[in-house]
Amino acid sequence: MQKRFLGAFAAILALGALPAAAQTRTANLPAAVAGHPNLSGLWQSFGTADWDIQGHGAEPGPFYQLGAIGAVPPGIGIVEGEEIPYLPAALEQKKKNLANRWKEDPVIKCYMPGIPRANYMPFPFEIIESQKNILFAYEFGSENRVVNMGKPEEAVTDTWMGTSNGHWEGNTLVVDVTGFNGMAWFDRAGNFASDSLKVTERWSLLDANTLNYEATIEDPKTFSRPWKVNVILYRHREPGARLLEFKCVEFTEELIYGDLRRKVLGK
Amino acid sequence: MNRILALGSLVAMAAALPLAAQTTAASKNTAAAGKAFSAPKTAWGDPDLQGTWTSDDTWGVPMARPKQYGDRLYLTEDELTAREKQVKASEQRIVNPSNDNHSPALRQLEAEESGKEAPAAQGAFGRGVDAAPVPGQFGEYARRASKQTSQVIWPADGQVPPMTEEARKMQAAAAATRNRTPSTWTDWSIYDRCITRGVAGSIIPVIYGNGLEIVQTPGYVAIRYEMVHDARIIPTDGRAHLPSSIRSYMGDPVGHWEGNTLVVETTNFNGRVGVGPNGGGTLSEDAKLIERFTRAADNTINYELTIDDPKTYTAEWKIGFPITHEPGYEIYEYACHEGNMAMRNMITGTAAVEKAAAEKKK
Repeated sequence: MQKRFLGAFAAILALGALPAAAQTRTANLPAAVAGHPNLSGLWQSFGTADWDIQGHGAEPGPFYQLGAIGAVPPGIGIVEGEEIPYLPAALEQKKKNLANRWKEDPVIKCYMPGIPRANYMPFPFEIIESQKNILFAYEFGSENRVVNMGKPEEAVTDTWMGTSNGHWEGNTLVVDVTGFNGMAWFDRAGNFASDSLKVTERWSLLDANTLNYEATIEDPKTFSRPWKVNVILYRHREPGARLLEFKCVEFTEELIYGDLRRKVLGK
Repeated sequence: MNRILALGSLVAMAAALPLAAQTTAASKNTAAAGKAFSAPKTAWGDPDLQGTWTSDDTWGVPMARPKQYGDRLYLTEDELTAREKQVKASEQRIVNPSNDNHSPALRQLEAEESGKEAPAAQGAFGRGVDAAPVPGQFGEYARRASKQTSQVIWPADGQVPPMTEEARKMQAAAAATRNRTPSTWTDWSIYDRCITRGVAGSIIPVIYGNGLEIVQTPGYVAIRYEMVHDARIIPTDGRAHLPSSIRSYMGDPVGHWEGNTLVVETTNFNGRVGVGPNGGGTLSEDAKLIERFTRAADNTINYELTIDDPKTYTAEWKIGFPITHEPGYEIYEYACHEGNMAMRNMITGTAAVEKAAAEKKK
């Protein structure tokens, strides 16, 4: 009894002596991988950023048949400081995108969502952190990317998901993503960037089951200055939870090729 | 478009590899290297299978064994020498594209356009040791000659066991559908539609895109495949399979380690992909696929796949081949569906052919 009391007291003293940053790191975190925080796990964001990364109120959806389940839920947004600093021409394009959102959002066609969008879609994703590279496997469309943790490599060609080079800054995983093809949107509201986009992601554990995500967006063709999104991701802890398969191609073929059925095939 | 881009880069990459590096890799790949080999471990003590791998070296090895080899899984020295010559020739067509025989398919096309007879294609569409080398324009080729006579390693005769009566009927029904002119998207394969190539189809070598990448973390092994893009997350913590209500193309994999071997059992299939190249063929929903990955050398993993599907096949069978690490080989984004212009072209092309045929009849 006395010993336990003493032990606890010693522990409190020891904690008090640790710097504040180190204290949060000791709270039941998963074992490190090669000395770095282990971000591995099944993660998902809450919220409605995929509808619109900016704050928005509830709205009706495009199909009255879907009633309440097809309506747009409200959200506080994930853009730091609310404003997205579009250049004038880009702002016009964003408005056009918004007007045509139900037709032109690439994700409607099961096209790759790009970065950062893949990280806050309403689907989970799995991080597999090795002592070398780090895999991000997204449930939506079986999309995936590997973050190269070795010597940074220049993008070989422009792609939807970009080319990811990462490094650790203390306990934060920093990933530079470049080499985008400029075809992905940030959300269903038509926010977008060009092929000059550069995304700098910062991933850090807040505790064992909460992952902080910050992405700095730079694109001099589209924005007047860099801006940021902030998202918190939560670990799936349900027994048996795992990444499932959502291969959406076959859900989109009537939408994409249906005009041929009617005009060409006459069926 | 995306496919073409990726191809171009691969060809450029292959050409840029120093020949010396390729030869070194080849010499390391001999069976003898396996004996003294001590498998590397991850920082947490699991066997380390990580890196990029390709099944290219099995290109040209037929799935089922040509009858002349009987129960023999490996080529004789003479047969191997002959295959080595062919592999060398196909490598030359990649490394030296100015070679007149660069592309049999291109020569064929040029001949058709000029209205002249195509040059004899020397068994271009044969398989195995008798096959002509891989058409160079596709950029992937065996870097070293496979010693195997077939991809099927069990049963001993190297043949795919007969299908069950029920599976034969289903296959015949599917073939009847295929024999009519394909008109709408569902008439093309799951692969043509850029949906997936399935577990077996993602690793069985085809004309290009045979690369995969393995990434590990404590309790998990992940395998991602380049072509059509899939990522399998394989838990090795002893958990049970998903309930049977949850089915999918790639199934539900669970794994465990047996010594240095990763054993992956995959179930919960949706019955819509098979075990052929690119996912062709048939497997039932009840199929169980068991894969074994064993590191055999620094640059080699021995891959083995057991097909256990009593609804489809009258016996269990196995395919197996080495997959190799090649310096400089990288996995690229394969935005298949996004760039699938072929689907529109195939549908409108078929419609045009049908219309022309109908007008001819009038």
